[in-house]
Amino acid sequence: MDAFEAIKATFFQECDELLAELESKLMLLEQGQTDLETINAVFRAVHSVKGGAGAFGLEALVRFAHVFETLMDELRAGRKPCDPVTIKTLLRASDVLADHIQAAQGLAPPVDEDRSAGLVHELELLTHGGEAPPVVEEDEDDFGFTPMAFDSPLDGPLDGPLAPLGEPEPASEAPSGWRVVFKPHGRMYGSANETGLLLREVGRLGPVTVSLDESTVPNLDLLVAEDGYLTWTLDLAADVDEKAVREVFDFVEADCDLTITPLGGAPETAPAFEDEPAAVLPASDELDIAALLAKAAGAPAEPAPSPVAAAPAEPAPVAAPIAPAAVAAPAVSAPAAAAPQTPPAQAAPVAPAPVTIRVDLDRVDRLINVVGELVIQQAMLSQRVLESGLARSSGIALGLEDLELLTREIQDSVMAIRAQPVKSVFQRMPRLVREVADMVSKQVRLVTAGEDTEVDKTVVERLAEPITHMLRNAIDHGLETPEERVAAGKSAEGTVRLAALHRSGRIVIEIADDGKGINRERVKKIAIDKGLIAPDAALTDEQIDNLIFLPGFSTASVVSDISGRGVGMDVVRRSIQALGGRISISSIPGKGSTFTLSLPLTLAVLDGMVVSAADQILIAPLPAIVESLTPQESDLHYVGGIDPVIRFRDRFLPLIDVAMTMGFRATPVVPSEGVAVVVETEGGQQAALLFDAIQGQRQVVIKSLETNYQQVEGVAAATILGDGRVALILDVDVLVTDMRRKSPRPDFKLAS
Amino acid sequence: MKKTVLTVDDSRTMRDMLLMALEDAGYTVIQAVDGVDGLETLAAKGADVVITDINMPRMDGFGFIEGMRADPNHRATPVLVLTTESDAEKKARARAAGATGWIVKPFDPVKLVDAVRRVAA
Repeated sequence: MDAFEAIKATFFQECDELLAELESKLMLLEQGQTDLETINAVFRAVHSVKGGAGAFGLEALVRFAHVFETLMDELRAGRKPCDPVTIKTLLRASDVLADHIQAAQGLAPPVDEDRSAGLVHELELLTHGGEAPPVVEEDEDDFGFTPMAFDSPLDGPLDGPLAPLGEPEPASEAPSGWRVVFKPHGRMYGSANETGLLLREVGRLGPVTVSLDESTVPNLDLLVAEDGYLTWTLDLAADVDEKAVREVFDFVEADCDLTITPLGGAPETAPAFEDEPAAVLPASDELDIAALLAKAAGAPAEPAPSPVAAAPAEPAPVAAPIAPAAVAAPAVSAPAAAAPQTPPAQAAPVAPAPVTIRVDLDRVDRLINVVGELVIQQAMLSQRVLESGLARSSGIALGLEDLELLTREIQDSVMAIRAQPVKSVFQRMPRLVREVADMVSKQVRLVTAGEDTEVDKTVVERLAEPITHMLRNAIDHGLETPEERVAAGKSAEGTVRLAALHRSGRIVIEIADDGKGINRERVKKIAIDKGLIAPDAALTDEQIDNLIFLPGFSTASVVSDISGRGVGMDVVRRSIQALGGRISISSIPGKGSTFTLSLPLTLAVLDGMVVSAADQILIAPLPAIVESLTPQESDLHYVGGIDPVIRFRDRFLPLIDVAMTMGFRATPVVPSEGVAVVVETEGGQQAALLFDAIQGQRQVVIKSLETNYQQVEGVAAATILGDGRVALILDVDVLVTDMRRKSPRPDFKLAS
Repeated sequence: MKKTVLTVDDSRTMRDMLLMALEDAGYTVIQAVDGVDGLETLAAKGADVVITDINMPRMDGFGFIEGMRADPNHRATPVLVLTTESDAEKKARARAAGATGWIVKPFDPVKLVDAVRRVAA
C-alpha cells in the first residue's frame, strides 16, 4: 500500500470518527443544546470530511458535504435559526453523508441520486431561507485569484515610463516583460511577508532589474521602524502571463500598492540590465538580500524595515507589531473585530487526542492466549506447592501469592487492550431508529445510556446485530402509533431506551420501550394455534412472555419488512447465546417491555468457586454467589412432597440438586450431607444449589465449550484446572430458571 | 539546512497529507492538533514556517495566529493558512490575524511546497 492509499485509509477511519462526533453533536442539538460550540463542532466535522474528500477527489462526497457545510456556516453565524425542523433535516443529511462516505469507500453502492438531490435541495432551502437557491452554486475557484482594482493611487514618485493605470492590458498582447511597481505597507511586514522573498520569487520568473525609490524615507528621528517607506520598481524581462506575476504578490496585494504594467518591449530598458549585471536577479533560490538591499537603498542609515533583520535585533517595539496595523487598516478592522467571536480555548471541552498506536489484533490475541496459559500455570504451581506441604508462611508460598497478584494484573491489563466502549455500536442506532420510525409513522425518541461501558472487542462487534433487531422490534411491535398513545393518555412520542451497564462481571444491555407491552392473550393464542404449546398449558406471565423466543413465532399479523419475517427473537436469542449470553424479557401491559441482554465481559477469565458434585468438579461463578451453608434438616421442606425448598433468611428458596439436574446421577443426595450455595440470578431471583463439597476459590480461564464441543444447557463454558483436569463452569441463571422447571417435570412442553 | 514546518490541523488525514508532501520536498515536519497544542509545540520546538487550519477545536486558526504574533519570538514567523473557503472574507480575516498567506484545500503538493518556499526565508 503506497503512502497515498495509506492516508486514504486513515481518512476513512477518521470519517467514521467524524460521523460519530457528528451524530452525537446532532443529538445534543436535538435535545436543545444549541450553543455555538456544539454547532461549531458539527460544522467542523462536516468541514473535515469535505476537506479530506476534496484531497482524494471524491466528487460526490465533496458536493454533498459542501451544501451541508454551507448551511452549518449559516447556523454558526446565527443567520439562520437552529430550530427543530432544521435539526431534523441535519440528522437526515448526516445519514446521507454517511452513505456517501460508504459509497466512496466502495462499501456500498452509490447513493441514490434522488435521495441525495432531495436533501441537497432541502439544505439549500434552509440555507437560503425560502427564496430560490442561486442558479448555480459557484464552485470552489481553486487558488482563487480575482483581479482587483486599486483604490489607492500611487503616492511617491515613480521613475521610468509607466503605462497609464486605466489601461487594462490583457495577456494576449504577449509583452516582452512586465514592470511591477511595488510599495509595501508596514502591515505587510506584520504578517511576516518579506520584500526580499517577493523579489526572489519574481526573479524565478526571469531576469529582473530592480530599482528602489527611497525618497520618502524620513529623517531618522521621524522614522518608524515598522512602517514602509520604500517603493520598488521591478522590470521583469520575461514573457510570462500577467497572472504568474500577480500570483507572486497574491498574499500581499492588500498590504501594498501594486501596479503591474506590460513593458511593451520598451527598448530602452533592455540594455539597462546588461549595464547592471549585479542587479539582475538570477532565477535561483539563493539571493543575497542584504547585499541587494544595501546596494538598492544606497545604504541609508536605517536598514529597511524588514522584521527578519529587525525582530531579533531590537526587542523594543515588540508590543507594537499587530496593533498599529489593525488601526491603520480600517477596511479590515471589521472582520478582525469579529475574530474573537469564536471563544478561544475555554475550559478545554475537547481533550487533545490521546496518543495511540495501532497493533495487529492477532498480536493482542496471541498475548491474551499466552496470559491465559500463564494463569493456568500459576494455578498449577500453587497447587503443587500446597500439595508439597509447605507452610503457608514459607517464602515460596509468599512469593507465589505475589506472583498471583502480578498475574492477575497482567491479565487485567491485557484484557483492557481488547476492551472497547459499546459506543461504536450505540452510535449507529439513532439513525436506525429514525429510519424505522419514519417507515412505520411513529414518533420515537431514543435515549441511550452507558455508551462508555467497555466490553471485549468481539462482544462489541457481535452486539450490533441483536441490538438492531431488538430496537426494530421495540419500535415496530412495542410502541403504539401516536394516536393510540394519545388515546392511552401517553405522550405522542414513544421512548426507547438503550442502556449498557456492568453488573456482576457481565455486561448488561437493556432495551426498554414505553409502549403497550406484550399482549399475553394474543401471544398465548398464537402459540397454541401454531402448536407450540398445549392448549391447556398453565403458564405464568413470564413463561408466556418467553414464548416469543420460540422458533417460528411471530406476533405481527402483517409481516413487515422491518422486523424481519417473524424469525426475529429466536435468531436474536441464538446469537446472544453464542456469545455466552442470555436474554430475558419483562413486560407490563400498557407500560412497555424491557429486554435484557447479559453477556460476559470477556471471553477469557472468571472468578469462580470450585465445587464438586458426583465426582465432577464444577465452577460456580463467584459474582452470582450470595452465601454458602450446610443445610439443616429443620430448614428443609418439600413442596408437594417432591421439590425441596430451604429456609434462608426467613424466606424459602428452591434447593436444586445440581448433580441430579445435570444428569450426573439419578438419585438425589440427602441435602444435609451436602453444601448449599445460595445464588442470585441476574433477574434477582434467588435459589440454593446443592453440591457435595466446596473445594476452594480461584480464577479460571474460560475455554469456550461451543467452539470446542457444542453448547450444553446449564454450562456456560469450561476451564482447565491446576491439576490439568477439565471443569465445567455453571450457567447459574439457566440452572435456576429453566432447568429446575424442566427436570422435575420432564413432560412440560416449554422447551427452551 | 533543513527547514522545519509546523503543521496545525485537527484532521489526521490532513496532517498526513501535509507530512507526505512536505517531507518529500525535504522539509522537517512537526505536528500539532489544534491551536493550543500549536502554540505549545511552537514554544517548545520552534519552526521556520507554520501551516495552520482555521476550523479547529479548543483554539481556531485565527486565535492561533494572533497568539503567535503576540509572541516576540514568532511574530515574524511566516504562517500559511489552510482553507477550503477561497472567498475574500476568509482571507482578509486571516490576514488581519497576521497570516502571511494561504493555501486552498484541496491542495496540490506542488502548489503547497511552492507556497511554503515563497514565504520561507
